Amino acid sequence: MREERAVTDGQQPARASGRGFGRVLVAVYAVFALAATARSLVQIATRFDEAPVAYLLSALAAAIYIVATVALARGDRTSRRVALVAITIELVGVLTVGAVSLVVPDLFPSASVWSTFGSGYLFVPLVLPIVGLWWLRRTRPD
Amino acid sequence: MTGPYATAVIVVSLLLACWTVVLLIVNRPPGRALWWALGALEVLVLGLLVGGVVQMLAYEGDLARLEFVLYLLGAAALLPLAGWWVRDEKSRAAAGVLTVALLVLPIMVVRVQQVWAAGGA
Repeated sequence: MREERAVTDGQQPARASGRGFGRVLVAVYAVFALAATARSLVQIATRFDEAPVAYLLSALAAAIYIVATVALARGDRTSRRVALVAITIELVGVLTVGAVSLVVPDLFPSASVWSTFGSGYLFVPLVLPIVGLWWLRRTRPD
Repeated sequence: MTGPYATAVIVVSLLLACWTVVLLIVNRPPGRALWWALGALEVLVLGLLVGGVVQMLAYEGDLARLEFVLYLLGAAALLPLAGWWVRDEKSRAAAGVLTVALLVLPIMVVRVQQVWAAGGA
């Protein structure tokens, strides 16, 4: 895709993770933060009894997306550490939930963002944490 | 809700996405004309929001009302948020962010239509 080419100059070291290509990355994270939050709100508000575990997991995913969005956007020292933790959890989450939802589909009767590795969202949830970790590495201040 | 108005929103959004992709490729920041066009599209989306809510209030049958309203509100918030996020961005990333927003917007309009259709209308 176009991401690689979107990396340009003008990155300020202190907030590098939210600049240049980081702008696009944060935007995509924000979309997922909004989508996952809205989805889990609807699930919990309207049919929580159907699959409490899956819906709580949805809410957790939403929270992680929100944290990652804000941390990447801020991009200071602490935020980068927070982003690293959040995105790592996100990667583990999408891999675990993706695998479990394939093996035991009954656990996830109604799709969550991470079900079947995010296939309902064009697999973006699977690619996003990988790109996020790559970007954090690339914009390392050192 | 599934009529030509929603289709127009989708088409305009995709056309503007082509525009921002071109900016992305030639590495230019968004110009005044694009901002005006985005403003015009946002007016259309706000029309969709108002029209959708009015239609929903008039409709008494089954409808996933919470989802319906959230998708409409999300669609309406998308362009202002994207514009705000790239207000100072001078690199091609500005066009990248706008492209993302302009591609997500049609998806949200389609979801609005699906929720409406599933409601039995």
